[in-house]
Amino acid sequence: MSLLSIAAVAAAGATAGWLGSLLGIGGGVFLVPLLNAGLGFDFRVAAATGLMTVIATSSAVSANTAGRNLINLRLGMVLEVASALGGLIAGYTVERLTKHTLSLLFAVVTAAIAALMVSRLDKRNVLAADVDPGALGGRFYDADSGRDVTYRVKRLPLGMLASLLAGAVSGTLGIGGGILKVPILNAWCGVPMRAAAATSALMIGVTAAASAPQYYARGDINPPIAAAAVLGVMLGSHLGLWFSGRTRVKWLKVLMAIVLAAVSALYFRRAFLE
Amino acid sequence: MNDERNDRLDRLETTLGHLLRTGVMSAAACLALGLIVSMAAGSTPLATTILKVGLVILMVTPLMRVVVSLVAYARMRDWFFVGTTLLVFAMLVVAWMLKP
Repeated sequence: MSLLSIAAVAAAGATAGWLGSLLGIGGGVFLVPLLNAGLGFDFRVAAATGLMTVIATSSAVSANTAGRNLINLRLGMVLEVASALGGLIAGYTVERLTKHTLSLLFAVVTAAIAALMVSRLDKRNVLAADVDPGALGGRFYDADSGRDVTYRVKRLPLGMLASLLAGAVSGTLGIGGGILKVPILNAWCGVPMRAAAATSALMIGVTAAASAPQYYARGDINPPIAAAAVLGVMLGSHLGLWFSGRTRVKWLKVLMAIVLAAVSALYFRRAFLE
Repeated sequence: MNDERNDRLDRLETTLGHLLRTGVMSAAACLALGLIVSMAAGSTPLATTILKVGLVILMVTPLMRVVVSLVAYARMRDWFFVGTTLLVFAMLVVAWMLKP
């Protein structure tokens, strides 16, 4: 593996990690097209590399969030039954999918993520009144409002279904899939935004760990490339966190939604014209 | 009872945080070392081994998180979550065992 390609992959990782942490959606959705369409790696190699960075991001982010009660461990474990199952099935079946199908799936998912990003520009925490958290709910101190927030989980089967789909998408395309389930947990299952995001960040590690071994066993993981991508993403997301306190991200979200729409168009083109 | 359970969950969250940090940092150290060795000496078996150790540590860290949670729920005698965590653990083990 040449020095140049390692440097290019590390730079792609840093860019994806920086954008991902700035936007709060994880960098996989930027890394996979950068590796596949940008640097010419096979889609499965790009997805396998993406999964390794997803695990690293999950562990690093959760290590930083832990201790603030934002991560709902019990809800996370219940949802992981579904998301890990989705990841496991995807990791096993992905080699049976054609390039056409993978391109089409990636096009649809990036379009959905772009739409979600724009539609949730002004999303605030849902702050419930004091309720009994029940078996799966939680309580955390919300710094924005300066008080304890208690929430109860509603419509668990819907959350499980969203987790199963997010897990299958993650294992097939090499992205974390958090942005696909966080809006559902927040809007329909009653989980406040910050708790949903923190719980999802923990979950994507186990989800990716259910499909990554299959990629590893097939030889889709190129060690120096994966190493460069993981280190790049870790560095980039660190920089992103450092900036996010001082930049307004709204315009960036709109800009990146446009970029993702363009990526989606590119993959639609690949699916139908190539 | 409820407060005690919450205290235990708080402690578990902190423990898991330390575990995840240790896992991801030791993986990153191996990956960085492996990259440096492979850039200095080419793709030698040593460089590849160090890189693979880093990647395996990375992939096994979430599995360790599940194992530690399993022990914690068993100590709390919270059998519903012991069962749930066992299911997740079983799927991660199957992911390693399945022949692609």
